[in-house]
Amino acid sequence: MKFSLIVYGAPYSTEAAATALHFAGAVIDRGHEIYRLFFISDGVHNANRLAVVPQDEVNLQSQWHELIARHGIDSTVCVSSALRRGVIDQGESERHELGAISLARGSSIAGLGQWVDAALQSDRVVSFG
Amino acid sequence: MSSLHTVSKAPQLGLLAQCLAVATAGDAVILLEDGVYYCLKNPEELPPAGDVALFALAEDLSARGLLERNRAGIELASYVEFVDLCCKHERSVSWF
Amino acid sequence: MSVKQTFTFISRSPAYASQRASLCLEAALAAAVFEQEIHYVFMDDGVLQLLTDQNSQAIGQKTLSKLLETLPLYGVENIYVDTQALAKHALDSADLVLDAQPIDDSQLAALIARSDQVLNL
Repeated sequence: MKFSLIVYGAPYSTEAAATALHFAGAVIDRGHEIYRLFFISDGVHNANRLAVVPQDEVNLQSQWHELIARHGIDSTVCVSSALRRGVIDQGESERHELGAISLARGSSIAGLGQWVDAALQSDRVVSFG
Repeated sequence: MSSLHTVSKAPQLGLLAQCLAVATAGDAVILLEDGVYYCLKNPEELPPAGDVALFALAEDLSARGLLERNRAGIELASYVEFVDLCCKHERSVSWF
Repeated sequence: MSVKQTFTFISRSPAYASQRASLCLEAALAAAVFEQEIHYVFMDDGVLQLLTDQNSQAIGQKTLSKLLETLPLYGVENIYVDTQALAKHALDSADLVLDAQPIDDSQLAALIARSDQVLNL
């Protein structure tokens, strides 16, 4: 089956991001496909490449990054949530002359239309907040 | 067309009762995160589930020291079983 | 994308203190752009979003009720309000900025059961 996951929770401040990450791993272990990860609201911080996490703690951003890279998963960050929270890709960085990029490699910024598309194209959509 | 509901907040928010009030016979609920604290309750203290099956995520019970304290006797599910429940039910409704 | 699905939005939280109410609205408007069948339910404390006389300028936010009034203009015509929640707050339809159909738990259960997508904030 094709799954899409919608993640509302920020890493570390809530358990939702870790729950979504474990769930995503189980979806793949079970032989299903992930059509899209969609990060929205505080969930966009999961796709921040600038996080530094103590070595003895789980680095959720890098775990997402590894999962996305290893399985070639589409990872989309909601534009209106991301820009307000400083999750910025190269294009937005140049447009607003910010001088920095914080969006994780392998993720892209897009509008809520990509959430609607995920809903229409997936067999199952599961939200984590 | 049945639903899988997820309830991921602590019992004092009352989300399980809200969720069960709009659930349909044949639906299932899985308790996640602080939702697993419902397991500490005696069965008669849980909101009536009728023909809705209740599950709780084993990993979240284990993390909270609840594996031997599941007084409610709620059936445990692993992450893989959580995925299977999603496949079994046509849609999911998250309560958080 | 030619498929048409039934989307139900359950908005359970008041405006302003959290982003949930406006997020739910934004998502519904996005689904409306894709011409989906949309049902929008104000449930529990979500009914408080609909109160008349809101002016949130003083707290530096956009007045949500003004945006909610535009829902029908964007093609979101199936709008419901949890009558039990209104009664709990001693409010009635005259207190609301929108004409919404009354909905109770069993009607919402039936609506969820025929929806493809449920967004519950």
